[in-house]
Amino acid sequence: MIVARDLTKIYGGKPAVDGITFTVRPGRVTGFLGPNGAGKSTTMRMVLGLDRPTAGSVTVNGRRYSDYAAPLREVGALLEARALHPGRSARDHLRWLAASNGIPRPRVEEVLGLVGLDAVADKRVGKFSLGMGQRLGIAVALLGDPPVVVLDEPVNGLDPEGIRWVRTLARELAGQGRTVFVSSHLMSEMALTADHLVVVGRGKILADCSMSEFIADHAASYVRVASPQRGEVADLLRRQGLDVAVHDEELRVQGLDAAAVGELVGRSGLLLHELTLVQSSLEDAFMTLTADSVEYHATPTAGIPA
Amino acid sequence: MTVTEFSDTVVLDPKANVPGVRRPGFGAALRAEWIKFWSVRSTFWSTAMLFVLGAGLTVLVCATSAAWLASSEADESPLSFVTWGLMFAQITAIVLGTLVVTSEYGTGMIRATLAATPRRGSVLAAKAIVLTGTLFVVGTVTAFAGFFGGNFFLDREGIGIALGDEGVLRAMLGSGLYMAGLGLFAAAAGFLIRHTAAALSVVLALVFVVGNMAFLLPGTWGEWTAKLMPGNAGSGVATPVSFNPGLLDPWVGFAVFAGEVALLTVIAWATFRRRDA
Repeated sequence: MIVARDLTKIYGGKPAVDGITFTVRPGRVTGFLGPNGAGKSTTMRMVLGLDRPTAGSVTVNGRRYSDYAAPLREVGALLEARALHPGRSARDHLRWLAASNGIPRPRVEEVLGLVGLDAVADKRVGKFSLGMGQRLGIAVALLGDPPVVVLDEPVNGLDPEGIRWVRTLARELAGQGRTVFVSSHLMSEMALTADHLVVVGRGKILADCSMSEFIADHAASYVRVASPQRGEVADLLRRQGLDVAVHDEELRVQGLDAAAVGELVGRSGLLLHELTLVQSSLEDAFMTLTADSVEYHATPTAGIPA
Repeated sequence: MTVTEFSDTVVLDPKANVPGVRRPGFGAALRAEWIKFWSVRSTFWSTAMLFVLGAGLTVLVCATSAAWLASSEADESPLSFVTWGLMFAQITAIVLGTLVVTSEYGTGMIRATLAATPRRGSVLAAKAIVLTGTLFVVGTVTAFAGFFGGNFFLDREGIGIALGDEGVLRAMLGSGLYMAGLGLFAAAAGFLIRHTAAALSVVLALVFVVGNMAFLLPGTWGEWTAKLMPGNAGSGVATPVSFNPGLLDPWVGFAVFAGEVALLTVIAWATFRRRDA
C-alpha cells in the first residue's frame, strides 16, 4: 500500500506536485493518469525517495522508502527514463542490483527468463531496442519479488504484443495480492488495465475513483435523433420522461437506447432521418477532465493569411 | 468492496521476505559497486592505460636517458626518472574517478543506484572504497613495474638503483596513494558537477594547468599557493626525488593533498545527500 499525504514538490517556485493525497491499495491495479507534465513522474520519484518532498509525505507499507534496508524487496520500480549504463550487459545490471539488496543470484536468471531476455542477457543494453529496454526495466522491478510494484509509463515503446504482456502482468501481480501502481498518459491503456484511477493535472488530483465509477461519471452516452418534425419528436420523448436536449439540428436523448427510441417514435408515426447511439469515449472524458490542466496546448492550425 | 481493499497487509509469495535472509548492510552496497565498476569497459581501459603509460613511459625514458644520466653532463638524479611515467598516468586516474560518478548521472543510472541503496552516504563510501582500492593497487603495481623495467637500463650504465635506496619504496607505495587520492578527488568533483566533460575539464585544469601556472605567481604567497595546489602537494610522494625542488616534503605534501581530497569529498557528500536525483 502506498499512502501519499499532502505531497508537494516545488521546483523553482512552481509546484510540480501540489498537495496531493491518495492511497494505492493492494490487490488491484491503480492507474495514475495525467497529461505530460501533470506531476506523475515527480510523484513516482518521491515515492522512491529519489526526490525530497517540499511538504507532505509518502509511505510504502507504512514506512518511508528510504527507511528500508533492502528496498528492492519491498518496492519494485520501473523508472521512466532508462536508468541504465549502455555499456553494461542486462545480466550484469541485474547482478549488481541483486547484490545491493542481498537478493540471491539465481533470482537474476529467473527474472531474465520471466521477461524473455535470457537469450540477449550478455548483450550490452546500449544495443537494446526500446522494447527490450522496457522489458529489462520490468525485470528490475520484479527482481526483489516485491509486494509493491511501481511502473512509470511501462508500455512506452512496446509493440502491441509487449503492451498486452505488460497489461496481463500488471493484472497478475495485482491478482497475487500485490499493490500495483501504473502511470500512463494514455486513457485507453488504463481503461484496459486499471481497476482504480487516480487522475492528476497540473499537480492536483482531478479524480480518485474506481474505473467503473469513472466511466459512469465521465463517459456519457446519448442517442442522436434527427427528424424533420423535431419539435413533435422532442415533445413525445419528453412526455415519456426522457432527458432531451436540442443541439442545432439534432436532439440528444438520454435514458433509452437507440432501438427503444426508434420504436417509440415509429409507433407515433413521426418521421426519423437519423438515429445513432453516441458514446463519448473515455479518451474524450479524460481530455475534457484534463483540458484545463494541460501544460502545453497545441493550437488548432489556423489558415495562413494570404 | 472486497476485503483486500481495506487490509494493509498482504499475503504474498513467501520468497519475498524469508526469515533468515540477511539484511543487506554496507557490504552489499560495496559488492554492488564492485560489480558495477568492473562491468563497464571504461574501467578496464582506464586501468590498462594507467599501467601502460605509467610503467611503459618510465621504461622508455630510462632506456633513452640512461647514457646521459651516467655521463658527467647529467644534472638530474636518476631517482627522478624511475617514476617518470606516473606523471602521465595521473590523467587516467582522474578520468576513471570522474567516470565512476558522472557516467551514472549521464545515463540516469544514478536513480537506479539510489533506488537500490537509498542511504546516500553508503553509495558514496562504497564507490570511494572500490575506486581508491583499485587505483592504489594498480598505481603501486605500475610503479614497481616501471621501476624494475627502467632500472634494467640504468643498471646497464652502472647507475642502477636499489629498492632499499632512500625514498624508492616510499615512492612505489606513494604512487598508489597519489593515484587513489587523485581518483577520489575527481569522483568528488563528479558528484558536485555531475557532467563528465565539465568535471573532467575542471579537475584536469586544476591539477595540470593551474597547478603549474601557480609557480609563476610572485612572492612568498605565490610560492605557497603553488606548493599547496593538489597536484603539486600530492605528487611529491610518488617519486623518490622530484624534478621540482619547490615542492613540500613528500609526506607533508601528501598530508596536505589528503586533507584537500577529504574536504572536497565531505562537500560532495553534503551536497549529494541533499540533492534530488
